[in-house]
Amino acid sequence: MPEIARAGYLEELATLEASALGGLDLVNIALGRTMEAVEHHDVELAQVVIADDDRIDGRYLEVHQGLITLLATQSPVATDLRLISALLHVLKSIERMGDQCVNVCKVIPLTGNHAPVDPRMVELILKMGAHTRTLIVQAKRAFEERDVEMARDLVRRDDSVDQLNRECFHLALEIGDDVDRREWGMTMLLAARAIERIGDNAVDIGEQVAFVVTGLFREFEDASHPG
Amino acid sequence: MLGAATKRSATEEGKQAMSDSPVGVTSTDPMTKAVRGAKTIEVRDVDLYYGDFQAVEGVTMTIAPNKVTALIGSSGCGKTTFLRSLNRMHELTPGARVDGHVSLDGEDIYGRGVDPVEVRRLIGMVFQQPNPFPTMSIYDNVAAGLNLNSRRVSQSQKDSVVERSLHGAHLWEEVKDRLQKPGSSLSGGQQQRLCIARAIAVEPEVLLMDEPCSALDPLATLAIEDLIAELKNRYTIVIVTHNMQQAARASDVTAFFNLDATRPGHLVEVGATNEIFTNPSQQQTEDYVSGRFG
Repeated sequence: MPEIARAGYLEELATLEASALGGLDLVNIALGRTMEAVEHHDVELAQVVIADDDRIDGRYLEVHQGLITLLATQSPVATDLRLISALLHVLKSIERMGDQCVNVCKVIPLTGNHAPVDPRMVELILKMGAHTRTLIVQAKRAFEERDVEMARDLVRRDDSVDQLNRECFHLALEIGDDVDRREWGMTMLLAARAIERIGDNAVDIGEQVAFVVTGLFREFEDASHPG
Repeated sequence: MLGAATKRSATEEGKQAMSDSPVGVTSTDPMTKAVRGAKTIEVRDVDLYYGDFQAVEGVTMTIAPNKVTALIGSSGCGKTTFLRSLNRMHELTPGARVDGHVSLDGEDIYGRGVDPVEVRRLIGMVFQQPNPFPTMSIYDNVAAGLNLNSRRVSQSQKDSVVERSLHGAHLWEEVKDRLQKPGSSLSGGQQQRLCIARAIAVEPEVLLMDEPCSALDPLATLAIEDLIAELKNRYTIVIVTHNMQQAARASDVTAFFNLDATRPGHLVEVGATNEIFTNPSQQQTEDYVSGRFG
């Protein structure tokens, strides 16, 4: 069998993949801090998350540029081409996940210094955050290991996040007539929705795993035509 | 369709075979054949030999009409040998032999009584190096096939074929005012298009192209690729290329040939070009198109 060629190109592609997936670690850290900020109503920590989103955006731009350069200079095809296409999607998902953390952190100050906190709602959101963090870790691992089954399992895990989001919604409906409590409830609902979207982004990454491995793109779940 | 073999000297046959589109006894009138129907080539269990050396083993594939089929593979894998077997040029090499079946729309081109020169008229060839006849004018280069034809052709018919062929090769506008200048006065890209004009002047059904752009600069290459895209509307086209991107850009179907220590050149995989370059079914194909082979 002839020797392996294009070692430099392959090394560069592997480096870019590791760097892109490393963006999921950054998101995981951001989401962890976001949950801490929600739990303790920590406005300063929320500001840190907002400022730190530049790192996620920077990772996006850096890896995106590297992938475009590979496309322009190396004419990748077959699995390499699918991988690059998938990484461009993954990068977009990571960038959106970072933005959702920012969205949550931006609403924390809006609830005021003495927010009428309903501990049940906070508990639900923290649960959502914890579940979603496991989704992020699993999405990264599935991509690294090109494990389609593990990627598909993200849908199952994401269902529990969706369920918690629905519980948040019902709780917000039942939160009572007090204007401040209702405002707090609606604000927390926005936070829950943002976290739920992060879970969806993790599933999107899983779909890219399947594309890299099989060459076929299929949504694991069709949101517009639920089965 | 495939004219019966007529007695002709080896010299005559060899001379015609060496031109881009050797002309035998035409069974159709090139001047009146307005509506074209490109033809299908069926290849079944083809083995190709040079003496005792087997260059290609067991190729079976269908080459579809009005498509560009690219043959890719590393040097020595037999793709050019295979290409030359499609219009009976392989057998011109001393000791060369073909086993198996090749048919053009169901007619066996290696059948008994089939005239190989007529086969080569129906299945024209464009070579790697542009090879216009150096002492002939541009006009005469295109008309060369007609001049070799045994049938008399009037001057006006000849003018018409030359103009139509040069139009067909995207060359007319560039040379219409200097048709009597030598073909060798043209640039490399123009010379290759002149050779294509010469090939299509005799109204083939199939065009075989053996690395037609390897000696050309990028702009001339793109001009040839544009021409190929247009020509496929009228012809079946088979192109051998070492340029992966050219295969990806210019072909509809790609066939990957390979050889290894245990097997002569053989067809590994054939499929739609977009499949071969995005999701090939064979690991060998993946390694080759990705440049994993050293």
